[in-house]
Order: sequence, then C-alpha cells, then structure tokens
Amino acid sequence: MAHEVPQGLGAPAGERAGRRSGTEDALRWASRNARILAPLLTLLCMVIFFSLATDVFLTTQNLQNVVTQIAPIAVAATGVTFVLLCAEIDLGIASVATFTGVLAAFFFVGETIDLGSWGIAVALLIAALIGAINGFLVAYVGIPSFMMTLAMLTIARGLSVFVSEGKPIFEVPPVLKSLGSVGSQVFGVPVIGLFALAVLLVGEFILSYTKFGRYVYMTGANREAAEMSGVSTRRVIMLSLVISGVTAGMTGLLFIGRLSSANPAAGEDLLISTIAAVVLGGTSLFGGEGGIRNTILGLLIFGVLSNGLNLLPNIPITFKQALQGIVLLAALLLNVFALRIERVRIRAD
Amino acid sequence: MAATIAGQEAAGRPEAADPILSFRAVIKRFGGATALDGVDFDLYPGEVHGLVGENGAGKSTLMKILSGVHTPDAGDIVLRGQSVRFASSADAKTHGIGMIYQELACMASLSVAENVFLGRQPTTPLGIVDWRRMRREAAEHLAVLGMNLDVTAPMGSLSLGAQQLVEIARVVFSGADIIVLDEPTSALSGPEAERLFTAMAGLKARGASLIFISHFLEDVLAVSDRVTVLKNSRKVATLPREGLTKHRLIELMLGHEADALAESYEAGIALPPLAAGRPTLEVRDLIAPGVAGVSFTVREGEILGIFGNLGAGMTETARVLFGRLTPTSGDIRLGGQPIRPRNPAEARNLGIAYLSENRRATLFPRHEIYKNITLAHLDHLLGPIVRQPAEVVIATQSIRRTGVRPASPMLPAGNLSGGNQQKVVLAKWLTRQPKLLILNEPTRGMDVGAKREVLDLVQALKAEGVAILLLSTEPETVLAESDRVLVMSKGRITREFAGERVSKNLLMAHA
Repeated sequence: MAHEVPQGLGAPAGERAGRRSGTEDALRWASRNARILAPLLTLLCMVIFFSLATDVFLTTQNLQNVVTQIAPIAVAATGVTFVLLCAEIDLGIASVATFTGVLAAFFFVGETIDLGSWGIAVALLIAALIGAINGFLVAYVGIPSFMMTLAMLTIARGLSVFVSEGKPIFEVPPVLKSLGSVGSQVFGVPVIGLFALAVLLVGEFILSYTKFGRYVYMTGANREAAEMSGVSTRRVIMLSLVISGVTAGMTGLLFIGRLSSANPAAGEDLLISTIAAVVLGGTSLFGGEGGIRNTILGLLIFGVLSNGLNLLPNIPITFKQALQGIVLLAALLLNVFALRIERVRIRAD
Repeated sequence: MAATIAGQEAAGRPEAADPILSFRAVIKRFGGATALDGVDFDLYPGEVHGLVGENGAGKSTLMKILSGVHTPDAGDIVLRGQSVRFASSADAKTHGIGMIYQELACMASLSVAENVFLGRQPTTPLGIVDWRRMRREAAEHLAVLGMNLDVTAPMGSLSLGAQQLVEIARVVFSGADIIVLDEPTSALSGPEAERLFTAMAGLKARGASLIFISHFLEDVLAVSDRVTVLKNSRKVATLPREGLTKHRLIELMLGHEADALAESYEAGIALPPLAAGRPTLEVRDLIAPGVAGVSFTVREGEILGIFGNLGAGMTETARVLFGRLTPTSGDIRLGGQPIRPRNPAEARNLGIAYLSENRRATLFPRHEIYKNITLAHLDHLLGPIVRQPAEVVIATQSIRRTGVRPASPMLPAGNLSGGNQQKVVLAKWLTRQPKLLILNEPTRGMDVGAKREVLDLVQALKAEGVAILLLSTEPETVLAESDRVLVMSKGRITREFAGERVSKNLLMAHA
C-alpha cells in the first residue's frame, strides 16, 4: 500500500536524515513505493511510445475508445482486487458476467418470466448469490477457491446456455443500452467510463478507509495472524467473493448494454483480461499487497496496450495477439524486478 | 568434586573400544556470543548417550555441528578415527549421521513404505519404482524395530509415536549408524515412549550409537547408558547411568552460579503471600487434545506462572482459552460467568488477550507497525471508518508505552528486531485493557534489555488489576515474575507453589 506519508512520520528519517543525501532518500522512497511506481512507469512509457508512433493515439475519440474498452473490465477488476488481496482467486467472473447479462435480457423479454427492467436487479441478486455460494464453500467448507470457482465457471456457463436455449437474446433493457453505448457522454467522457470510475472509487473507499477493507488486507497478508487478532477471516473471504460476484454481474450488464444483445457464448476473454489487468497493476497474487490504485494503473496499461497495438501500422493483424502477450509479459517482469528491489531494500533498512 | 567426576567418567566408559565419534575442544561462536566453549564429547559404538542441559546450554549447537548445519570455529571432530568437518547436512548424512527432529519431517499424505524409502525408492531395471520390493523391505525394516503395520497406510493416519518410529526406520535403513533423537518423547504418551525405548534398545543391540536429547530427565535415565550434562556452553560431566538420579542431574545442570540472581533461584525464592483478589479466570477439569484434566484460578492483579517442558500442554491450554482449540470437556469461567469462546474474536470480545509463542502467527511483517497494532481493536478504536492519522496517533501512544524501537509507526513491522516485534504484538493487545492476558513464552529469544522492558510492562498491567497467565519453558522467567507457580507435565498439573519457597530445582523436578 502506498499511503501518502506525512514527512515527519516517514520512518527512521527523523533520526538519521541529517547524514543522508537527497538522492538516497529519493531512492529509499522509490523502493518503498515500487509497487505503485513500477506500473506507473510502464504506463508512461506506453503512452509516450504510442503517442509518437501513431498519429491517432492522443485524439479525443481514441481516448474515449480506450475508456469504453476498459470500463466493463474495470468493474469486474474491482471485485477481483478484493479476492486477490485475500489471497484467493475467482475464475468464474467471465461466466458469471455472461450469465447475469443473459438473465437480465431473459427477464426483460419476459416470455417465461416477465420482470421488465426489474430483471436487472434480480439478475444482480443472483450474481451475488453465486458469489455467496462460492464464498461459503471456499471459506467455511474449505474447497480451494481455484477449484471452487472453476466449477462455478462451468455451472454459470451452462446455465447461460440453458436459460437462453443457446441463442442470443436481442432485446435488452433500454437503461443498459444508454449506459453502455459509446454515444452516451457527459462532457466528452463516456458514461460507461464514469460508471466504472464510480465502482473503482467505492472499492478504493472500502479497501482503504473501512474496517472491512483492512481485514481484507490482513487476511491475505497472514491469515493465521489475522485470525489470532480476532478477525473473522472466513467472513472476510466469503464477503470478498460476494463482491466479486456482484461486480462480475455488473460487467455482464454493461456488456449487453454495449452490444444491445445478450449472447450466451460471448465474453469468455473477460477472465484473462481482468486478472491480467489486476496483476499488471502490481496487486500480489499471494494476497495482502496492492489495491485499487494498482488496479487502475493495470487497467490503463492493459487498455492502452490493446488499443495502441491496433493503431500501429506495419504489424500484421494476425500477430497482434501474440505481441500483446509479449508486451504484457515484459510489464510483469518489470514488476517482479521492481518488487525484488523493494524487498531487498526493506531488509537492508 | 572434579576428581570424582573424572573418576566416574572413566568407570562408565565401555572397555576395549574406541569411540565412533569424538568432539575435541569444540568451540562455536555466534557474533559475540559463545555457544560452545571447548566441549569434549565421546560416543561409543552400541551406546545410548543422553544429552541434557538447560535451554541455551549448547545442546542444539552441538547437534547442529554434528548434523552439518554449523561448522565449528575451533576444535576437532573425529569420526571413526578420522578427523572430519561436514560441509552440509547432506554431507553429514553420507557419513552415517541421522537426525530425528522433534518436528517430524515425514510426508503425511504418502504411504508408510514411501516414507521409509523417501528420496531413494528402489527401482526396476526400467527406472520405474519397484513398489513390491519397497513394500516388502519397508515391512522388514519396521519389523526390526518391533513395528508391525500396514505399510500402504498413509503416514498421516498413524499416531505421532508410530510416525516417529517410521522416521527412525527411514534414518537407520538409509545407512545411519549414529542416530540423534532430539526431544523424541515430548509428544508421546507413556506406552508410546516405552515402545520407542524398546526400539532404541534394539538398535543398540545391532551396534548403532544413539544420542538422546531431552528435557525429560526420567526418560534420559530410563534409556541412556551414559549422560553428558552441558551448562553455559561447557561440558559439566559425562556420567554412567548407574547411581545417577534426577536430582543429581538437575544439580549438575544448574551448577553453582556466581550470578547472585541465579543463586537466589538456586536457594529458592519466597513467593508472596496469597493475594485475596477476586478470581478473574477459573478453569475446572479442562480436557482437550494434549490437556488431561487441568484446574486452576487466576485472580485480578495476579500473575500465575505455569512452568513445563515442551509438550506439557501449556500451549494447548492457552489455545482453548483463546478459542483456537475446542475442548472435550471442562468448565471455564471469566469473572464468574461460564464461557466457551469458539474463536479468537469471541475471546477478544470477552476481554482475553493472547500473546502466542509463535511470532510468525502473530505478525504482519510487510505491513506497517501501526496496522499491526490497531488490528485487534479496530472497531473499538475507530468505528467503521479507518482514518490513518487517528490510527497513527493510537499506535504512537501504544509504541511509547511498550517501548518499541525505532518508534516509527510507518515502518514495516518485519524491519524490527525479534524483541521489538514481540513488543508490537503486545502493543496490539494493550490498545484496550484486557481482563485476562495470556503470555506464552513472552520473552523467548529476547536480549536482556528487551526482556526486562516487556516484563516491567507485564508487572505494570498486574498493578492495574489485569489477571495474567504466564506460560514458559524457562524456569527463571516464571520464578522472577509469578505470584503463584504451577508446574505442568504431560497435560496435567503436577504441583502448585503458593506462599512458599520455590527453586529452579523444585520446578524442574516436577516437570
């Protein structure tokens, strides 16, 4: 976590600062904040590169595109951040997103059950229920989250096909359409982007400024120690998986709004994009470290990269996916090295 | 005195044999501290050699040198007539030295046979594991140790004593003829220990040499041919078992310290007269895994010390009180009300604080000190919204009270020394005054200064009326701080000392 630290409280600086040079202080500060600086640096490099390499990257319209592309991922990534901070994982997000979207459209069409736009709320409740089932079986029964959510991935995918009878549904609630379409903007910012930002900010508030948020970090950092400090780590893990279910569901709703249809076969690449974005931002897969600020940076890196590669001339379109993977790998390596430096310096302190 | 010891030593030496292993004036230093100061030690073929001494006397260092973990700074190790120096524990192993640690190194999910052959499974000429041969030979090996069990059963399904014997079988049949057993009986029941002794006798008859390290002096006397006593990094004596008593061993282990403080423990210290405070904690007939019917009371403003060796059931008792272990039966009352905390959160809400013996299970090393401190009472301190500045203020006060150094709440807790980490954990529990404070090995591994600071703080809490349960395997700590002292052994309370004189000898005699 990279809280802003008031100068006087900045650790042993008070006692020994007199003898230390400014550069050394800067290095120390940088190494302590490596988890946020490494992705920030990566992002800056990419923005500079694509601005110079293409004419269109820095245009308003293209930046709107970037925001619209990453907004649905951002919503799911908020929940995944909670789960990863607990040192658990949710592999079911993409299927839960699709299922929630299919359900909302299904209730809206109303051939079997007609709920109109209220179907959105019911669909989200079902997403929360899926999260609760995941959470209960992981935290209280003890199924590893990797296996549990893998099973839920299959269940939710199957239920999407079952409910929709395998066919796309072409009617979706209008409120979702206006939320999801690229055309809806406030002062030039796509509404979907504002929505995603709001979700991220709520996530940041919970994680950084509430008791529950602190419990999430401490549970992931050392579950035994958290338990021995009186934290109900099971409840923390369960709630985090519920949050992840709800945010995945919201992402599904944004998707059907943007596409104006609910396709039971769509959206599977959301899983990889979301987890890649969260991890790229520097949140640890082993729990306890990272946060929403990291996730925002990771989302931007991911968004800029996918968008920028499409704008580059002279690259065969068929090679782009591989290239994207290679650049992501490079960014991850940078992260690992930066954190290794941080760790060495902390030990040396 | 020295002359008689030397005489006895000569008498106990087996005739007409050279030692298989000799330490000659071995010295080992760690930084400024001397862990072994010119120690001689002989082990003969076919001998069981007991090794005793207080915590920190040098037993573990001696064994770590023998097992290749440490190299001596000076002195010789002669193995089968050759001077050796082990480069690594693997090197020691190839020289025929086998270690059985207290924490067994077995694989619970693998079968017994696989554990016996861990790392050297027999293979067929095709390079495939020869299961049939492995099972047959494992069963043969175990039979030699008097064990008759299903070698296909998973290791985890065996009792601890049986697992230990399987591990011994593995070490012996991988070619070790010098076998070191470190506190092997601390977790064993009486009959299990007997079975271990029988197996040890069998190995001895086959010509193996065994070193038996234990705090349980009866066990040492039951199984050893000779006993070596270490004290303050030096060897005091090596004596034959014949004519040796527990009392004599304790005398040798404690010696006659010049140190005035230790001398007072020697002669015994007088416990204060019984205080008349209201009972805070009352435990009646508590039975739980590792606890075999324990009853005691801790009063307001009283420190009740419990002394015992590892495996005596003290940690288990503490874990029951803190909601981490479910008791089989028993009655627990806090302030007169019956309680049965199901988890640490419930125990905390009742006003119980617990300083665990395992620092890894209590600290968040990569997180700031202030987060470590505020965690236990976050709700009470701050309500639902966590504000960093308010947290830092609370943590700073707590740090000042406990004397954490450096007093920088923003520093990751892992940067602190062990003693200061312990103070952080204590600070966490003092952000709200507990009714009952359970301290499990509160000062283990701390330097003298930090130890004093922590114990002064404990005394201050006592003066404020907190009931304190102090559990320790260090008799000095228990004696110096307690108003009353209990001794625990194998899950039971063996003796209570109240309002009378008590000494280290007495404590150890009942453990």
